[in-house]
Amino acid sequence: MDYQQLAKRIVQRAKKKGAQQAEAFLEVGRQSSVRVHQGQIEDLTQSTSKGVGVRVLVKGRLGFAYTSDFEPAALDHIVDQALKLAGAAAPNKLNGLPSGKDLGRYGDTGPLFDTKVAELPGDWKIKAALEMERAGRAEDSRVVAFNGVGAGDHVSEVYVASTEGLSGAYSGTYVYLYSMPVASDGAGLQTGYWVDYRRFLDDLEAPESVGREAARRAVRMLGAKRVKTQQVPVVLDPLVASSFVSDLASAANGNAVYQKASVLAALKGKRLAGPHVTLVDDGLLARGLATAPFDGEGVPTRRTPILDKGVLSGFLYDAFTARKAKTRTTGNASRGYNALPSIGTTNLYLEPGTKPPRELIGEVDSGLYVTALLGHGTDPVTGELSAGANGIWIEKGELTYPVQEVTVAGNLLQMLQDLDGIGSDLQFRGGPVGAPTVRFRQLTVSGE
Amino acid sequence: MPRASASPRRAPTSQLAPPMVRGPSAAPLLPQPLIERLLAVAMERGGDFAEVYVERTLTTAVVLEESRIKSAQTGLIQGVGVRVISAGKVGYAFSDDWEEPALLRAASTAAMIAQGGGAERSFPVHRAPVPSHYRVATPLMDVDVSLKTALLSRADKAARAFDSRVKQVNASYVDQTRRIAIANTDGRYTEDVQDLCRMAVNAVALGKGGELRTGMYGGGGRVLFTHWDTFPPEAVAREAARQAVATLGAVECAAGPQTVVLAPGWSGILLHEAVGHGLEADFIRKGTSLFAGKLGQKVASDLVTVIDDGTVSSGRGSINIDDEGNPGERKVLIENGVLKNYLYDGLNAKLMGQRSTGSGRRESFKHLPLPRMTNTFLAPGDHAPEDILKEVKRGLYCATFGGGQVDITNGNFVFEVSEAYQIEDGKLGRPVKNAMLIGVGPEALKNVSRVGCDPMPDPGMGICMKDGQMLPVGVGLPTLRIDNVTVGGTKVA
Repeated sequence: MDYQQLAKRIVQRAKKKGAQQAEAFLEVGRQSSVRVHQGQIEDLTQSTSKGVGVRVLVKGRLGFAYTSDFEPAALDHIVDQALKLAGAAAPNKLNGLPSGKDLGRYGDTGPLFDTKVAELPGDWKIKAALEMERAGRAEDSRVVAFNGVGAGDHVSEVYVASTEGLSGAYSGTYVYLYSMPVASDGAGLQTGYWVDYRRFLDDLEAPESVGREAARRAVRMLGAKRVKTQQVPVVLDPLVASSFVSDLASAANGNAVYQKASVLAALKGKRLAGPHVTLVDDGLLARGLATAPFDGEGVPTRRTPILDKGVLSGFLYDAFTARKAKTRTTGNASRGYNALPSIGTTNLYLEPGTKPPRELIGEVDSGLYVTALLGHGTDPVTGELSAGANGIWIEKGELTYPVQEVTVAGNLLQMLQDLDGIGSDLQFRGGPVGAPTVRFRQLTVSGE
Repeated sequence: MPRASASPRRAPTSQLAPPMVRGPSAAPLLPQPLIERLLAVAMERGGDFAEVYVERTLTTAVVLEESRIKSAQTGLIQGVGVRVISAGKVGYAFSDDWEEPALLRAASTAAMIAQGGGAERSFPVHRAPVPSHYRVATPLMDVDVSLKTALLSRADKAARAFDSRVKQVNASYVDQTRRIAIANTDGRYTEDVQDLCRMAVNAVALGKGGELRTGMYGGGGRVLFTHWDTFPPEAVAREAARQAVATLGAVECAAGPQTVVLAPGWSGILLHEAVGHGLEADFIRKGTSLFAGKLGQKVASDLVTVIDDGTVSSGRGSINIDDEGNPGERKVLIENGVLKNYLYDGLNAKLMGQRSTGSGRRESFKHLPLPRMTNTFLAPGDHAPEDILKEVKRGLYCATFGGGQVDITNGNFVFEVSEAYQIEDGKLGRPVKNAMLIGVGPEALKNVSRVGCDPMPDPGMGICMKDGQMLPVGVGLPTLRIDNVTVGGTKVA
């Protein structure tokens, strides 16, 4: 089936039936994944999927409908549904598709598709998963079980078309490995988690390395205990730091800012952190998981600094919110076919510093190195952070004993001011959000 | 929206009237001969068990922002999943293409998990009766969308009228009419229609010096649309607004161990996190939960009896059948502090020599079933809620809650408290901000020292996440006192 033609036909039909503007967003994909358990396949899943969403505007009224059924009658039906919903919606003069001037030329994404991933044989994933399990057990005899060990890949295609002259498509590949071993010392159980997720097979960490690192992370937590309640320097490893980075970006969501429901709303142009702190959303990052020529409504993606050398320099927008806020879209409309576009991030990362992580830890007299967080992080409205933490206690610059059942708490703005060290080890671990090791001068650790 | 998750790892409108779905008496989702053919193909390489899962889900969603209906949408997701089990290994394939060749292809893909040749056999299925814990008189999808947008406009007005400090209101309404059919090589064929709706209101209040506070409330369930006559959007909105305004001027929360008193209702997510996930049979079978091997042992205070009940009338987490076709059940998991039972899906039950407790649930045809909770409650105790509070000299009263999360292996769980007050001499003092509770499941349950006589279910807003699969669940708790809980805060004494 020619999906680009199909998207155009849906748009034409909507227009013929009375829509002033119409857009079709279509996704097609195939996935495969495997999990193993004790040297055997636990489950093997394969599938294909597809779907299309239709957005229409009738006299400033918005309607949207989607379906995974591509039979001609079903496609006609969703166009009718979208038009009917537009009839029931309130008019808003800000409603509308991105205009010609927002659409423009696509930037250079570099390659997004790896034929090695697209043609990856099924038994490669089985072997890789078995290798991770074996490596985890070989790393340490205290590894006694796994919450899950698996590998998978997917191939996806996106097609868009609209009455505003939009016509675009891209396809991409993704491959991943993960391991969640459980270690026991007879007295208690601890788990570890390590993952790698890439577009290109050659970028993927070796299965043995993923398996061993996951095991190390589980074993080193054995015997974890609470520490006293105190205010100390806190170091976040890159996996944990990426959730801090995501929290910062949700406070930079243009809609939250417009609604004054963000701790960052009134601070544009202000210095929030030292000159070593730069936070960027980059939809064109080479080989990035979220790299794409256009966003969820066909607008070219780009590089948008949120914090530029410590100064709050920009917020993230889709076309509708940009119109409300009297600014331009930043190409940050994020969506699947079954949802309207909403503001999201692409490849989001904190730029690395110069110090190796060992040095950041080495400079701490007494503090907490956090390797896992529990909870949902920072409230973007108030900027307050409170989260459960697991990690290792730092004493005189050395990692000592494992810590659990404590919380870390602080405030986003204060944390930005206190961000006194950024490691050289930027990594995108398991997703399109990247961070290096980061250190805060002081957070409250709650324990005994 | 609050969420409860077992592991760290994501809707839409109206009087849709497609030809195939029309309430419980509609024509079968797939013709029975085709289903039987799929089972035969799935078993052609000699599996031990095969199952065909058919789903068709219609969703309506309405969103209000800045006092306007921002969007209204509707959508259809449908597909078929085929599962084959061979020597404990699972093959799974699904297709959202409803055409026979695509479905046969999915069945042969799933069949590949078995290695044998196997002769072609036939697997006739027979329709089994299912219980009825919720009514679908007029499917929610058939209710006119203008009635749904009207709910949100009423909520918006009520929240803003509650207090002039309420500056921002966002509201959403989502409903789903989900039709499933499940057939397996045991010959069992079951069908269910599961209606579900939820409204949520978020309010932001602005206080002195630019202080911002938020409130969130919502509800719903497997209910008729008339639910909103008795649970009006104004009440939902006023509660969200009340929370936002009540917490203005909150002081820093003291960090460290404290006696805490939990308000009844939605606080049940404590139970969901502290014990529920750790009792799910997949973790038990693999030995990765700290509750593995502890059946018959004391894991909580005598006052603690925990029940998971899929049969609650109209409950958000209720199921006539689970996603393997087994009836929803009421299970006593912990009785007077002693661990009595785990939550089993079919596969883990078989591998462990047990029977399914009707706990095999999945988000959609795109997912494998996992052992999951339904509605999880703590049985009521003897104490009057006001006495529980009066007895506490100093502590923390937790009135409303965000979400929670648990690490089922070491038992560490967190529980976000969105509205909390200091307790001084048995009375509520000032509101505190940014509080969180952390504990280890069994330890926290051993420290339960008072259980109120005021059991209360949550209003119907729970979403549980496990292995990337989201499911509706219910929770419930009477007023509860727990001693020596680590409270996460910013203030150090």
